[in-house]
Amino acid sequence: MNMDMDDIPNPDELEWLESHALPPEEEEDFDFYYPEEEVEQHQPQPPSPPTKLPEPSSTLLSNPLILPENQINRKKRIWSENNTSTTVDSTSVEVPQLIEKSKKSRLPTAETEIEEEEDWLRRSPSTENADTTPPAPIVHEEKFISRYASEIVGNFIAITGPDGNRVYAKMDQVEMNDNSLKTLSRKGYASGLIQEPINVLIDKMEQEAFAKALQASSESPESMIHHEAPVVSEKLWVEKYAPNSFTELLSDEQINREVLLWLKQWDSCVFGSEIRSTNDDVLSALKRHSSVTHHQKVSDTSFTSKNRRSPYTNTNSVNSNNMGQERNNLEGFHGVWDKKARAAGPPDHKVLLLCGPPGLGKTTLAHVAAKHCGYRVVEINASDDRSSSTIEAKILDVVQMNSIMSDGKPKCLVIDEIDGALGEGKGAVEVILKMVAAERKFEAVKGIGGQEGEKGKVSSKKKRKIYKVSLSKPLESFALKVICICNDLYAPALRPLRQVAKIHTFVQPTVNRVVSRLKYICNKEGFRTSSISLTVLAEYTECDIRSCLNTLQFLNKKNEKLNLLEIGSQVVGRKDVSRSAFDIWKEIFQKRKSKRERKSMNGGSSLFGEFDFLHSLISNRGEYELTMDGIHENMLQLHYHDPMMQKTVDCLNILGVSDYLHHYIMRTQQMSLLAYQSSNAIAIRRLISQIEKPNIEWPKSFQRHRMLLAEKKDLLRCWQTKITPFLSRHMSIESFVEDSLSPLLYILSPRTLRPVALHSQSEREKGVLTQLVDKMVSYSITYKSRKSEPLPGTFRHEATSEAPTLAFDPPIDEFINFKEYRSEHIGINLAMKQVLVHEVEKQRFLQQSIVRCTPSDVGVDAGYQALPRQESDKTLSTSAGADAYVENARIANSKFHLGESKLKTSTNLIKPVVNKSVEEDMKLRGHTAAKKPSRGASNFFDRFRKNGGRDSQTHGQSLQKRATLERDSRPLLFKFNEGFTNAVKRPVRVRDLLL
Amino acid sequence: MLWVDKYRPKTLDKMIVHDDIAENLKKLVTEQDCPHLLFYGPSGSGKKTLIMAVLRQMYGASAEKVKIENKTWKVDAGSRTLDLELTTLSSTNHVEINPSEAGFQDRYVVQEIIKEMAKNRPIDAKGKKGYKVLVLNEVDKLSREAQHSLRRTMEKYSASCRLILCCNSSSKVTEAVRSRCLNVRINAPTEEQIVKVLEFIGKKENLQLPSGFAARVALQSNRSLRRAVLLFETCRVQQYPFTSNQAIPPMDWEQYVSEIASDIMQEQSPKRLFMVRGKLYELLINCIPPEIILKRLLSELLKKLDAELKHEVCRWAAYYEHRMRLGQKAIFHIEAFVAKFMSIYKAFLIETFG
Repeated sequence: MNMDMDDIPNPDELEWLESHALPPEEEEDFDFYYPEEEVEQHQPQPPSPPTKLPEPSSTLLSNPLILPENQINRKKRIWSENNTSTTVDSTSVEVPQLIEKSKKSRLPTAETEIEEEEDWLRRSPSTENADTTPPAPIVHEEKFISRYASEIVGNFIAITGPDGNRVYAKMDQVEMNDNSLKTLSRKGYASGLIQEPINVLIDKMEQEAFAKALQASSESPESMIHHEAPVVSEKLWVEKYAPNSFTELLSDEQINREVLLWLKQWDSCVFGSEIRSTNDDVLSALKRHSSVTHHQKVSDTSFTSKNRRSPYTNTNSVNSNNMGQERNNLEGFHGVWDKKARAAGPPDHKVLLLCGPPGLGKTTLAHVAAKHCGYRVVEINASDDRSSSTIEAKILDVVQMNSIMSDGKPKCLVIDEIDGALGEGKGAVEVILKMVAAERKFEAVKGIGGQEGEKGKVSSKKKRKIYKVSLSKPLESFALKVICICNDLYAPALRPLRQVAKIHTFVQPTVNRVVSRLKYICNKEGFRTSSISLTVLAEYTECDIRSCLNTLQFLNKKNEKLNLLEIGSQVVGRKDVSRSAFDIWKEIFQKRKSKRERKSMNGGSSLFGEFDFLHSLISNRGEYELTMDGIHENMLQLHYHDPMMQKTVDCLNILGVSDYLHHYIMRTQQMSLLAYQSSNAIAIRRLISQIEKPNIEWPKSFQRHRMLLAEKKDLLRCWQTKITPFLSRHMSIESFVEDSLSPLLYILSPRTLRPVALHSQSEREKGVLTQLVDKMVSYSITYKSRKSEPLPGTFRHEATSEAPTLAFDPPIDEFINFKEYRSEHIGINLAMKQVLVHEVEKQRFLQQSIVRCTPSDVGVDAGYQALPRQESDKTLSTSAGADAYVENARIANSKFHLGESKLKTSTNLIKPVVNKSVEEDMKLRGHTAAKKPSRGASNFFDRFRKNGGRDSQTHGQSLQKRATLERDSRPLLFKFNEGFTNAVKRPVRVRDLLL
Repeated sequence: MLWVDKYRPKTLDKMIVHDDIAENLKKLVTEQDCPHLLFYGPSGSGKKTLIMAVLRQMYGASAEKVKIENKTWKVDAGSRTLDLELTTLSSTNHVEINPSEAGFQDRYVVQEIIKEMAKNRPIDAKGKKGYKVLVLNEVDKLSREAQHSLRRTMEKYSASCRLILCCNSSSKVTEAVRSRCLNVRINAPTEEQIVKVLEFIGKKENLQLPSGFAARVALQSNRSLRRAVLLFETCRVQQYPFTSNQAIPPMDWEQYVSEIASDIMQEQSPKRLFMVRGKLYELLINCIPPEIILKRLLSELLKKLDAELKHEVCRWAAYYEHRMRLGQKAIFHIEAFVAKFMSIYKAFLIETFG
């Protein structure tokens, strides 16, 4: 039994229990009823003073009535009518109260019970504490009641209330018997046995309760009102006390004014040429608020005291005592106001985007401000159909139906919860953007000159420079005033809108403001609270006014008091909002200097609270990877004190652990382990959090790194597939970048290559060129003109900045283009590059023609021209009878014999042609290196030396021959590049071309 | 063609480096039935070259007629079907794939695709060899699951299929797979061997090699044959009649890493670390594997370090590399190493210079 003690939460009872050794049975009862009991305790006190208490009891005592047992039910019913609480509660709670009270009384037990019962209904907790006498008669009483209910199941009793609720009471027979003995002896000792039977007592109690109820209803009407008030006013407090005028707004003054200003800027085009002069009450409100914000900075207390007055007076009468100080502010503000509102015409941002956490009054502000400026509000929220077509129609309605409307008020469109539904919300965003774009285009066509000066002035004030859209007369009715409201500014759907709209982010109002407002409402509703508990509530809900009000109304309706200590369990629930990633990072990086922090000073429990807070914060968000990236990205920008880098090392270690953990979780799919990720972030917070405000950036660099890496890998892979597999199989991406890239770049830009015309090159240079072209072809690298080069690459030639530059086609040079790094690579001359491009193209073309003229049944044609030398040697030996010429050309495939004879015959014909076109020869000479002469074959070339003439290098000559042969293997070789010629086209006979 | 590819030995007989291994392999292939093979060794040591030569030894010249294919495989993975894209390099008798391309889905590659390939006996089985060869590259990058699924395949289809596995580090290949293979360790060629190769190439290209020049190239090459040959050709292109003290151009990324190292030595602060992070990202973006960055960075740092710190720094480098391999985001770990180094170094500086 004793172990149950801990479970009893009520401090009063605990105290009492400790001072008295309770009969175990009673404890059981406590145990049983305590949840209901607890609720009962919070019930608001009826206003009738405790002094009334003795009266009914005494009256009842004087005329005790004997009633049948079954009347108890009736009695209960009466109670339930009196009380707003349920009958079940009252019956269940009744018992212990009786116990306690009876102890105190010296009266005969039966009477005291009745009295105490009544007393309990209106008792204040303090009276219980005085109880000292041990519980004498109640056991008997209780047993009686349980018997009456006659639903005993073993040790349990079920008590059925009038409304059908059934309550079970636990009984211990043995203990009870002991107790009854004890109580009997006690009674004899104190005042003798009970004179009246228990049913009489109960009737008395009932009577008393009835009388009491009557009395209460007649005597204290205000208490009745109090009870009925929530029932009558079904309207939510949130709506009931929503600000109606601009002055009542609870949101930040700065934002209020900005919004109003934005709306006012429309005046010129909406209300025609005469600018509606701002009426006095607006101005006075504005100036008062501006002064309020001004004061807020100076001293918080003065602000609150004033603020408490200003919103609730609900009049525009200016506070006289503040007026003096405000005058100065008024001057300055008025100036700004005039300049902005009068002169500027429509605002340069077409759309206003209000964002902020829920319950700060965004919607209210939009409505109030629009109403204030004389607009009629048309709201589209998430409950409406928000497909783009509907929205478009609606917007057009808003914009065009103005003149028809009877009230003649212009309309203002408020799109609430625009971030809500992704698919549909997007529709809204699209339409808005379309409208804005259309207007802008219209303006661009019109080209308004007169307001250019203004534009400069205004846009200089704004951060974002966007073309000011001003509307001309015909489109005047088309003035689109849209206020969008969202919770998450960074919702993906809003991305395009963010760039167009004027954004106001709501910040939490100060706790004081919220509390004062809450207090005002509570006073009006007659709900008794202390400002301390309201403060706690406001802090708990993070200044969400809506949530606060709803909670209060809920409590009020339940007739409970706002309990300072138990707000966590009492309030319906903690807001389960997932905060934006930025909030989380801020929470991690920034040490709180608020009460939360102060609390954490005084012990481990609140330190735990902080941990708990962060843990839930981070887990609610869920995106641990993003969170960690953000920490990593912004960590080093913080100004934490770390002379020995120890903290940094620790933080990075923790990040490493979280990375490992994440990887492990993803690999094994054990998502439950994700719960431990948040502790990593909290550990980091303990290391590096600072008081000063961190400058947090979205973690882009890791994503950027990942993207670019994938891009570059793709590029390399693409390139690899273009190279013949014979080469590419040896070249993995990693090893290429690690080992091959830099040398390759050097090799591709030989220093010995002078930029001179081809015919004036020396033999050596020609050789170099040939080799280079060969390499470029076999690794399928070429140069390509790159359009616009934002920053001249470190690798390429400096002179190329103005001309169309030529860069490597798979841009392999970019792989060494590190930031802040100057490599020693010197690109080759632009002219040379152009030559190379030409050569490479020609070479490639030739190779393809070779491939094509070989029979197609060599399926692996891609690998064909790269056939190893050994193999071709073999073919040389095997095809002994074959024409040596063909062997030299190293057409490894024996099937080439088909074309062989034809080639031979045509050789003599072709040669003069070849000799004529000298330049072409040289180009052709650079044939694939794979076909470089073997020593065995070189003497064979000598036969053709006389034909080739100039070339000393035998292999070059042979290649030339072969190239021409290749060309002649088909009678004619056309190459038509469409873009190249700008000559007049006319028909030419083929035989003219053939000479 | 670059010299690397031009002078790549095509047959086992022509191996200059690892000629002993080549000889053994030749015996293995010609005389007996060839077991599964696992080649492992650092990059640039000649694993692929050896594998190609082995294939050639097995199937003759036809092994070199390869084609590249990009195939999409539909794999049924329990509840859903996956589309896996793989690049295969195949000849009539062998298929070469890189299963780790599939990333975390490599398990399905092994379970479905490789099994499928292994099942099918080569069609022209009339020839002498009744099996085909699957070459799997980068086995060490395979996930543990994939490796586990591999071992049964290796046993079950050994009649029709031989696997040749190729990887850098055998330690990341599970014991089970290793024990099913003949492990062939390919060492990085020694500098003498590299010099030998370079001289061979020089002779073929009719170049005059000044004495000691080849040795210098070999020294610079970090014992990677590929790099050595490439550097050699670079020198040839840059300045032909070689001079013995000719400058050998460094690798650009290594140059960049050494810049990072000197940045680190100059200043140790979170701000500097941030700068270093940017540079590390640059390296990572350009496809340099993070392990190599870390390794290189360590060796660059060690160059400038006092002897007494070297041991500790190496230890931490190993620690962070281990973590890096366990994790996913290499930058976290490299950066952690840099921070740790900064911390150690700074403490050391304060201790010695007050």
